[in-house]
Amino acid sequence: MSNNETLRTLVHDARAPLNRISMNAELIKLVLENDMPKEKALAALDKIIANCQQCSESLQDISDLNSTE
Amino acid sequence: MLNILLVDDDSEFSEVVCHIVEFLGHNIDTAANLAEAQEWFVNNTFDHVFLDFMLPDGSGLHLVDHLESIGQTPKITLISGHPSVKGKLAEMCAPNVGHLVKPLQREDIERVLNPKKNTEKKKSKPSVNKHFGTLIGESPVMQQLYTMIERVASTNANVMLMGESGAGKEVVAQAIHNASQCAGPLVATNCGALSKELIGSELFGHEKGAFTGAIARKEGVFEQAATGTLFLDEVTEMPIDMQPNLLRVLESKKVTRVGGNKELPVDCRVISATNRSLTDLAQNNIIREDIYFRLAVFPIDIPALRDRKEDIPLLAKAFLEQLNDENGTDFKWQTSQLKELESYDWPGNVRELRHAIHRAFIMSDPKGKSITLPPNLESPFSRVNKQTQANQVSAGQTIEEVEKELIHATLDKVQGNKTLAAQMLGISTKTLYNRLNAYGGIGEYS
Repeated sequence: MSNNETLRTLVHDARAPLNRISMNAELIKLVLENDMPKEKALAALDKIIANCQQCSESLQDISDLNSTE
Repeated sequence: MLNILLVDDDSEFSEVVCHIVEFLGHNIDTAANLAEAQEWFVNNTFDHVFLDFMLPDGSGLHLVDHLESIGQTPKITLISGHPSVKGKLAEMCAPNVGHLVKPLQREDIERVLNPKKNTEKKKSKPSVNKHFGTLIGESPVMQQLYTMIERVASTNANVMLMGESGAGKEVVAQAIHNASQCAGPLVATNCGALSKELIGSELFGHEKGAFTGAIARKEGVFEQAATGTLFLDEVTEMPIDMQPNLLRVLESKKVTRVGGNKELPVDCRVISATNRSLTDLAQNNIIREDIYFRLAVFPIDIPALRDRKEDIPLLAKAFLEQLNDENGTDFKWQTSQLKELESYDWPGNVRELRHAIHRAFIMSDPKGKSITLPPNLESPFSRVNKQTQANQVSAGQTIEEVEKELIHATLDKVQGNKTLAAQMLGISTKTLYNRLNAYGGIGEYS
């Protein structure tokens, strides 16, 4: 796989957690706006935190790829 | 309600989208790849398909082709994670195919599901200033309240809120919580709503197996509110024999779960609230004196709405704006209506005002721009009971005036029967005649 293709895959991998983060944030907004059980919001927040971690790792991979060039 | 199919290989993403779409009131099923999606279409029809562009077994476009070949025409929204795909999608411009770019926003989903409400919903900035993010009003009494909130927020003193039902005790608690910028949450509990048996476990928590039905350990509200604010609503409705337990927690700043033996530190501000008056509290033995002083280190009186009538238009505007925002309408008050709202005495305070506005909002013609107020604002709880008010005595009246009023009211009640009236008043019939003669009103009742 060429470096360029690898980069594209890695960027795709970094985007997936961002999509989840954004959707979970929307869910939390719904929970708060409608006084739904806070457990739902807490679960979504946990997912956001986990996905931030994952996104950060993906970005690190991209950065590592760059330095090996 | 629409039937929706979401085709995306990211299961975590799908799950949360499902929550949101279900909340918006639609049915949703998911497929992780093209094969699964095609399977769904064997026995089902869908109104709308959210379709990821890149799937493990091919491009989402294959499903579009497949649906065409089997004669199904749901609306399709292609979702791509890559902005550059956007151009390609736009080129296709099939009438039933739209596209969105990840990361999605809830508004995007709502927009493609309800194309009619496409009108750009500008989030109008609320025109009414909310103090501490919650409180509305610019009257002098409210300004005083704001000063008090500011002062007390910077300390960790316990606050007791006093005010009539509906005056906004919980809102003020939220304001104090916001202003104190503490790290923890605001936890609210209604002491009046808890049964005697449960109040201990609700407040202090319980250990697993502490009593029948305690199947798991539970944190009490004191623990939940750690480094935050605990709001005890209707604290005066707490059974008096439970109050010593509360006092212990307040004094020692330590809480022990029911059935537990470990003391846990308590680290929260307690805001309590009651709708009883101070004299009621003192006279009727509702709250123990020692608890009162613990809770009411800083008592705050919340003014009734009739004592700050100048705030009614502001509140009315804020409530209507909120309803407009929620329902995509554009209702406006007329000055005369605001005056009408202002002239009513609102015994149920802000809560009553809010509900009256909500009711008027529902009754109003959705196509129109003006709101329709009901002809009569009074609720069953309205205190504008003119008769009893007319009979009330006030300082400055002479005894003679009051006596005359009382005699006349009694005579009216018994249709002028003087013997009966004298009996009710506890005087002889002769005295009654004498009095009436003196007032010169005997003619009315002869």
